[in-house]
Amino acid sequence: MSTVKNDSPDLIRFLMGNEAIARGIIESGCALASAYPGTPSSEVMESLTRWKKELSHPIYLEWSINEKVAFEVAYGASLAGSRSAVIMKMVGLNVASDPLLSAAYLGVRGGLVVIVADDPGPHSSQTEQDSRFFAWFAKVPVYDPSSPAEALSMTRRAFELSEKYHIPVMLRPCLRVCHARQNVNMAGPLEPVNVGPFEKNWTKWAATPKFRLVLHGELNDKIRNISLEESDSQPLRISGPKESPLAIITSGSVSAHVKDIVDADSRLSEIPVYKVDTPYPVNQKVLQELIDSKTQTLVIEETYPVLELQLINKTKVRGRISGHVPQQGELTPEVVERIIMNFSGVETEESVSPTIRARRPSLCAGCPHRPAFFMIKKLFSESIFTGDIGCYTLGVNLGAVDTCLCMGASIGMASGFAHATNKTNDGHVVATIGDSTFFHAGVPALINAVHTGANFVLVLMDNNITAMTGGQPTPATNFLADGAPAVQVDMEKLIRGCGVKSLDVVDPYNYRALEEALSKAKLFSHEKKSGVSVVITRRDCIRSSSSSISNIRFQVGENCDRCMTCIRDLECPAISFVKQEKIVRIDLDLCSGCGFCVDVCPSQAIAAWRNLT
Amino acid sequence: MTQMILCGRGGQGIVFLTRLLGDIATEKGLNVISSETHGMAVRGGSVNSHLKIGPFSSPLIRWGQADCLISLDSSETFNNKHFLKKDGVVFENSPTPSESDLYRVDATDIARSIGRIQLENVVLLGFSIFLSNFEISLEDIKRKLSGGSRHVTSEQNLVALKAGVRVAQALIQ
Repeated sequence: MSTVKNDSPDLIRFLMGNEAIARGIIESGCALASAYPGTPSSEVMESLTRWKKELSHPIYLEWSINEKVAFEVAYGASLAGSRSAVIMKMVGLNVASDPLLSAAYLGVRGGLVVIVADDPGPHSSQTEQDSRFFAWFAKVPVYDPSSPAEALSMTRRAFELSEKYHIPVMLRPCLRVCHARQNVNMAGPLEPVNVGPFEKNWTKWAATPKFRLVLHGELNDKIRNISLEESDSQPLRISGPKESPLAIITSGSVSAHVKDIVDADSRLSEIPVYKVDTPYPVNQKVLQELIDSKTQTLVIEETYPVLELQLINKTKVRGRISGHVPQQGELTPEVVERIIMNFSGVETEESVSPTIRARRPSLCAGCPHRPAFFMIKKLFSESIFTGDIGCYTLGVNLGAVDTCLCMGASIGMASGFAHATNKTNDGHVVATIGDSTFFHAGVPALINAVHTGANFVLVLMDNNITAMTGGQPTPATNFLADGAPAVQVDMEKLIRGCGVKSLDVVDPYNYRALEEALSKAKLFSHEKKSGVSVVITRRDCIRSSSSSISNIRFQVGENCDRCMTCIRDLECPAISFVKQEKIVRIDLDLCSGCGFCVDVCPSQAIAAWRNLT
Repeated sequence: MTQMILCGRGGQGIVFLTRLLGDIATEKGLNVISSETHGMAVRGGSVNSHLKIGPFSSPLIRWGQADCLISLDSSETFNNKHFLKKDGVVFENSPTPSESDLYRVDATDIARSIGRIQLENVVLLGFSIFLSNFEISLEDIKRKLSGGSRHVTSEQNLVALKAGVRVAQALIQ
C-alpha cells in the first residue's frame, strides 16, 4: 500500500540544480541517502529532507561524519538491496576514494549513485579537480549534467544504469548546475525500490585478492559493454547541421555556454555541437568516426581533458592537450566564446577583462570565532597558526591562520611543525579547527598527536553546527538531518578519551576566561612541554536559530584615540573608520551586540549605548 | 527576453529576489534560468545572481548583455557594470541622487523605517516598472509577495514594494 503522497505530477517548478538532483533521487525510489556538506553540493540533502517531510517518503537520510563513512553507509544499503545515493563535493571524494575504488570491483545490488559536485574556478574549494577523472580511475560510469532539468533526468538514468550493470554510477554536476535554477518538469515520487535481500557470498562481497582479479575482469567487461551498448556514451548533436567541416564536442555545464554562443551568432551556425552525456566511458569508435569525418574538431569540457584523452587519434583535435583550451580556471561564456571564435576563424573584438574590486568575505559581526582568533593572536603573537576548512579559514583576516590544507590538517600539520627540528618564530604552534571538521578528520590526528607527544595548543571552535555550508548538524548536535532527535556525542569525553590531559571549555565572548584558558594551555604545551592541550571555545553560531543575539548596541566615545586596534586586530565588519570625519563608527545594522570590542579597546572608549527593545 | 544581474553583499537577500522573480516567471509558463552565489562569499563578501528569461541554455549572462542591474550596494555596481548592455539600466540602493540610466533609491533608509533592514531588496524591486519589455508586471510581484506564509512578512513586503514604486514614479515624472 502506498504511503507516499503524490504532489501533483507533471508540475513545473523553478528548481535549483541541487533541488532537481534531490527530486531525481525521490523519483527513483531511493531508500537511503547519506552526505557530508560541502559547497556546491549541500542543498541536495537539504532538499531531500524537505521532500521526505512533504511527501511522507520513507527514505532514510543522514548527514554522515565524513564522506568515507557516507559512502560506506550508502554502499551497505545497496548491498541490502535498496537504491541508495551518497552526496559530497569533489574534495570529499578524495576522502571517500578508498571505498569507491573497491566498490567498483565488488559491484552493487540496489542502484548506487555517487553524486559529486565539482567547483571549477574554484569558487569555494581547495582544488579544481575533475571528478570525472576519478570516475575513470575507479572505472565507474559518470553522468555530466548541463542544467538543473538534465540533472534530474540524469539522476534517474544513473539509478537505472547502476542496477542494469551492477556498478556504482557517478553524477558529476558542476557549480553552474548545482547553483543554477531553472523551470523543471517534475514527475511523481516513487516508493523505495528493493531488489531483494542480501545473499551471503564471501567470494564476492568479501573477496580476497585472488577473487579480486576475477572481479577486475568483470568490471572491465561492464565498462566495455556500457560504452558499446548505451546511447548516453555516444555523441548527440544538440545544435547545428550534420554536414560541416568543423565540429565541437562538449559535455556538462560548459555545453550550455557552447550551445548559447553558437546559436546566437549566425557566423557560427554551420558548426554542429555534439554533447556526450556520460563522458566516461565513451563509445570511442563512434567518436573517432565523427572526428575522422571532419577537418577539425574542438573539444570543450570542464575541467580536465577526460573526453579528449579517450579519443584514439587526436591529430585533428583541438582542446586542452593541444593548448587551445586553458589548463586552469572556469570556462566562463567569455572564455568559451574566445576559444570558439579562434577555432572557427571568425574575427572578433577582444573583450577587455573588467576590473573587479570584490569585497572580501569576513567572519560575521558577533561570530564567536572572532574573539578566539583575537586572543590567539594576542597571546601567541610570534607562533605558527595551522588552520582548517570552514568559516574560520577567514581567521586569515585577523592574521591568526597561516596554513590551510584540507579537512583536519590543522592538527596533523601542527604535529609536524612541533616535531620539526627547524623551528619557526618562537617555535610554538596553535591549531584551530571547527567542531564539524574535528569530527570529520581531526580525531585520528589528535590521537596521533597525543601518542607522539607533540607540544601544541589546539583551539576547537565549537559553534554547535556546520556553519560554512548553511547549518547542518554534527555528531554533537541533538538532531539528525531530517530533524529527528539524535544521540549526542560528548565532545569533552571524546577528547579526554583521545588521551588529552589539559582541556578547558570557555565562552569566547568572555574576554578574561578566554585569556586565562589560552594562557593555561600555553603554559602546559609550550613552556612545560607536556603535550597537546585543548581549549574548546564554545558558543552557538550567530546565524543559527539557537543563537541568542543581544539587544544592546554600542558606540565609540570621545576617549577613542584612533589607535585602530578594533579595526586592525578585531576586524569586525560592524566597526569602520569614517575617513571624512576621522572617527571610528559602529554600524547599528551590522552589530549583533556581542560586546567583545568593549574589552578589546585599549582606551575604554567603547560603551553600551542603547537597548533596542 | 530579459537578462538581469542582481548584486550586493552576502546576506542582503539577492537569492530571495532571484527566486521570487524566477518563481513568478515559471508560474507564467516562461523559460527561465538563473545562477547564484553560495559558499564562503556569502559571509559578507560580494555576491551576484544572473536571471535570464527566454530560450537560454546557459545560466550565465555574458558581458555586455544584461538589460538591467539591480544593485543593493553601490560599491557592487562597479563590479558588475560590465554585464550591462549599452542601453542597460541600473537600479541602485544609494542615498545619492539619480543620474541618466542610473536610478537610485535609499532602500536602506526606507527598509529601516518599515522596521526590517532586510526589506532593502523588495524596495528596489519597485523600480522594475522602469523596464519596458519586462515579462513580469508589478501586479505579478504583488500577488507573489502577498502569498507568503507569514502574514506580517507579506504585509511588510508589500509596504516596501509600494515605497519603491513611489520613488520610481517620482523619478519618471
